[in-house]
Amino acid sequence: MDEIKSVTENAQFIVIKIGQEQFGIDIQHIDNIVRMQNITRVPKVPEYFKGVINLRGEIIPVMSLRLKMGLEPDVITKATRIIIIKLEQHEGIGIIVDEVKEVVTLEKDQIEKMSYDKEEKKIFVYAVGKVEGALVSLLDLNAVLADA
Amino acid sequence: MDVSQYLEIFLDESKEHLQNLNTQILELEQDSENMDTVNEIFRAAHSLKGMAGTMGYKRMQNLTHDMENVFSEVRNGAIKVRANMIDILFQCLDALEGYVSSIQETSDEGTNDNAPLIKLLNDILDSKGKDPVEVKEKDQAPVEAAVAESSASTMRWNEINLGSSEKVVLRAAKDKGNHIYGITVRIQDSCILKAARAFLVFKALEEHGEIIVSNPSVQDIEDEKFDQEFTLIYVTKVSLDEILKAIKNVSEIAQAEGGMMEAPEVESSTVYTGEEEDTTQSNQTAVAVTDMSVPSKSGSAQKDKKQTPAKPVVNRTVRVDIEKLDVLMNLVSELIIAKNSLVSASAVEDTTNSAFNEQIEYLESVTTNLHESVMKVRMVPIESVVNKFPRMIRDLSKNLNKKMELYMSGEETELDRTVVDEIGDPLMHLLRNSADHGLETAEVRKARGKNEVGSIFLDAYQDGNNVIIEVRDDGNGIDVEAVKQKAIERGTISFDQAENMTDKDIIDLLFLPSFSTAKVVSDVSGRGVGLDVVRSKIEALSGEVEVKSKLGVGSTFVIRLPLTLAIIQALMVVVGNEKYAISLGSIQTIEDIRPEDIKQVQSKEVINLRGNVIPIVRLSDVLDIESNKNPEENMVVVIVKKGEKFAGIVVDELMGQQEIVIKSLGKYINKCKKISGATILGDGEVALILDANSLF
Repeated sequence: MDEIKSVTENAQFIVIKIGQEQFGIDIQHIDNIVRMQNITRVPKVPEYFKGVINLRGEIIPVMSLRLKMGLEPDVITKATRIIIIKLEQHEGIGIIVDEVKEVVTLEKDQIEKMSYDKEEKKIFVYAVGKVEGALVSLLDLNAVLADA
Repeated sequence: MDVSQYLEIFLDESKEHLQNLNTQILELEQDSENMDTVNEIFRAAHSLKGMAGTMGYKRMQNLTHDMENVFSEVRNGAIKVRANMIDILFQCLDALEGYVSSIQETSDEGTNDNAPLIKLLNDILDSKGKDPVEVKEKDQAPVEAAVAESSASTMRWNEINLGSSEKVVLRAAKDKGNHIYGITVRIQDSCILKAARAFLVFKALEEHGEIIVSNPSVQDIEDEKFDQEFTLIYVTKVSLDEILKAIKNVSEIAQAEGGMMEAPEVESSTVYTGEEEDTTQSNQTAVAVTDMSVPSKSGSAQKDKKQTPAKPVVNRTVRVDIEKLDVLMNLVSELIIAKNSLVSASAVEDTTNSAFNEQIEYLESVTTNLHESVMKVRMVPIESVVNKFPRMIRDLSKNLNKKMELYMSGEETELDRTVVDEIGDPLMHLLRNSADHGLETAEVRKARGKNEVGSIFLDAYQDGNNVIIEVRDDGNGIDVEAVKQKAIERGTISFDQAENMTDKDIIDLLFLPSFSTAKVVSDVSGRGVGLDVVRSKIEALSGEVEVKSKLGVGSTFVIRLPLTLAIIQALMVVVGNEKYAISLGSIQTIEDIRPEDIKQVQSKEVINLRGNVIPIVRLSDVLDIESNKNPEENMVVVIVKKGEKFAGIVVDELMGQQEIVIKSLGKYINKCKKISGATILGDGEVALILDANSLF
């Protein structure tokens, strides 16, 4: 945190797990990480919206990243977390992830932009980061939060 | 000077002045001889000009300057108010409004010089054959001029009426070898904190002597109840030059002048001023200026206070950013939620501790009061919205060539600020509707034995937790047959359907998008965007619209709005494992219904409740919930009302009544029309709020 200067060149990502795949979320868009809690279902909304939670007096919608990506439904475990994301000019929204692993700092040369077919719609990853031999798919939050 | 920080104040005040001008000019049209009105207009135009000048909006300043010139002539009796002049003035106001809205959007006044208008104004002046710009005009003209210009206000201090005690004090002071000076101080037009400047002047003066009298009074000056000038009578041993210098050391003082005064029983003889004065001006002019700039206490004959119908110019109020109020309201909401959780916690705990319960009850009453006060702070009279309507009706009357009069009552009725901001457009639509569709032309009215001049009424009043606004006209009323024909023509309804529809159903068709019965599409209405917009706007504010109409007699549109949007009393219900809140305002009764009492009509479930056939809605079906209830058991049915219609909502269980704070679901997830929001319960759980209106 004290290296504000480096933030502009390097970016910090929170590494999360969904199934066996690791995803990275840019830390500057993350408002909070909370444990799984009771979610109030909202009727007549897309399936991936699990409902709303009370986050210190605020009503925050929660979506399942798994369902949004067309994966198996979430299995709630002790490790399950809700990551509250706040994009500029938007309200907060929570996404459910299987596990939060760590925070990594990626240098520019560790990030490889993905070239992908524009035709395909369900692309939620804009780049891949390389951390100690492992790969982290960096989430394109705008795509994740866009209504499908 | 960087003026951008004042932009908001400027916009607010300009709008106020423009509204004031609109109202006053309307009044002038009714009573062209009323000097109070003329003075008020002059004052408003003058303030507007000063403000525009300070902010650097030259075009706006020019236009107001010319308007002011015209009024100065009217006030001097040189020009009589005529109908065409009123029209021109209204056009000027429109142009000014144009400037203001352009400034609001782009913080630039735009490039429209409005030269034709300015020419028209000058024509009015020229028609008098007089020099349009009088010498004294320069004196009040823009800020930069004010410092150097000479003033016509010479010897203002002689106009101060001295009380006997003041005379005694002055005489005593004179006897002790003091000088008595009359001093007039003029603060720059651009000065924002006039009272503060005046205070500094007072402080500087009190170092050397004593202020005996001030006009306006010290209290008025502190409250900023003065224009740019104030006049003092001052006793000191120091020379006048020094005193004037001390005053001018205070910044933003445009001018200070003074003169020696004799002890009160003698008339003043010597006049001395601190600047190169043009003292040749007639005393008559000076009086006129005084009258304009020192409204509160001047003893001038032109100003008859008893006749002034206007409200006090300055209210003792504080301008608060609406966002700050929102924050306050949110905090109160949090407090209520916290209180609710305390209440539910105390219900779970062993409740033998009576002191604890007492405190909880005390807390409840405090939070309720707090909520009410904060709500009241957010309430504003609908006046700010409706007072533009007389002008609109006047214009409509000319455009449509119909005679009409608008009668308003209950302008002081208060509503939540957010509601007031939204209510203007729907009301405007309804009024235009009445003027265009409702009222007949003068000839038709005459033939029908009605007063040639149509009446439109706008009445607002509070009714319990609602505010009712009625727009009523004594026009033709809604021709149900015509509407029916039109609907069939357009294929909105089939002929068979039309046969079975009640008049009320047919009138309801008017609220459908793109439905207009006006045979001729006029400038005013008839584009069919009116009534459906009205309905959707009102419903977005959780209100409702009703129509009553009688052919040939007139129609009434009744708008019902909740007093506040943020916190409501609600009935909590349970369906399956989920909890929902239903606003108490829409609930009529709660019924216990046996399953066999449910009948089928057109394959819809209904119940017969004391002679009324009421459709029922199973919440479990509508919201995809699995009901926990045995279908054999009696059902709990909540009867809700929307306008004249009823519906029964079937729920599993009732939880009880609760004060709830409405929170938005946010735009990510607000797709479900049946849900109007969410609230946080005492135990921290979220419950959704059911929009009962959507179930009809």
